[in-house]
Amino acid sequence: MRIEKCYFCSTSVYPGHGSAFVRNDAKVFRFCTSKCHKNFKMKRNPRKVRWTKAFRKAAGKEMTIDSTIDFEKRRNIPVRYDRELVQTTLKVMKRVGEIKKRRELAFFKNRMALSRDKHRAHRKKVLEAAKASGVKQLLQPATSPESSKTREKVKISSKARTALVQGEGRSMGMDMD
Amino acid sequence: MGRLRRSRAHHARRDVHRAARTRVRGRDLDQIQMLDLDPKRRAELEAQPLDFEKPGLAQHYCVECAKYYETDAALTSHWRSKVHKRRCKQLKEPAYTIEESERAAGLGRAERRPAVAVAAAPMVVEDAAPVVVA
Repeated sequence: MRIEKCYFCSTSVYPGHGSAFVRNDAKVFRFCTSKCHKNFKMKRNPRKVRWTKAFRKAAGKEMTIDSTIDFEKRRNIPVRYDRELVQTTLKVMKRVGEIKKRRELAFFKNRMALSRDKHRAHRKKVLEAAKASGVKQLLQPATSPESSKTREKVKISSKARTALVQGEGRSMGMDMD
Repeated sequence: MGRLRRSRAHHARRDVHRAARTRVRGRDLDQIQMLDLDPKRRAELEAQPLDFEKPGLAQHYCVECAKYYETDAALTSHWRSKVHKRRCKQLKEPAYTIEESERAAGLGRAERRPAVAVAAAPMVVEDAAPVVVA
């Protein structure tokens, strides 16, 4: 028995769980849930759906190049049972898991630090832009009351009327005042 | 008040659910990219023998979209269409495969058994496919 991986979201599919689709060229697509199966039927690309592992890896949100990832493999060559080999394997699994966890945390912290700087720069820029526009408004306030007194006639062509706003000419409904 | 719902919102897409059934699934992007677009296979697909079951006797086939057309005019107008151009764009980037889903999960493929037997067997097509780093 094998623990398979979901075609869409790449989570583990344990025996007796999920479903599989066998294409007419005998390729087996495993799905962890009906959600993933439905998304597959909709012909979505998992690389473009944000909640999948494929997206996270492709978008650089998770570690992709690391020696700790290379241990888990699909091995098709059976290994003769050896008590010692099993024990050392179990020990190594634990150790590799620890190392991987630490590296992932470091990767995450580094990523967050970078994004924090980006956010800060963006916020600063927005603030400065707001300030600049605010100063401009303060400098010329005297003109606005004058202009409100003398109302100019503005011509609006009949083309400018829009069907999107209710009651703009073409509507069949009652005109409301 | 008139009709509030927008008209022309359906694009004549009838029966989406029936089209999404797996038993009527057409050729996938990875199949087209790895097999059909190969010049030799493409030539074969474009010059198929008369098939009375297929639309237009299987004489007007678009390889990228995996679709049969009734006439040559229909096929050429399809090539000019947005649907076809969109499909061509999709085919430019490497298609998503089962191998990629496994790689994203951190599951690699072990190397093949060292060649002890006779000369290496012909490689399976999927191994020859371009490897995409997720």
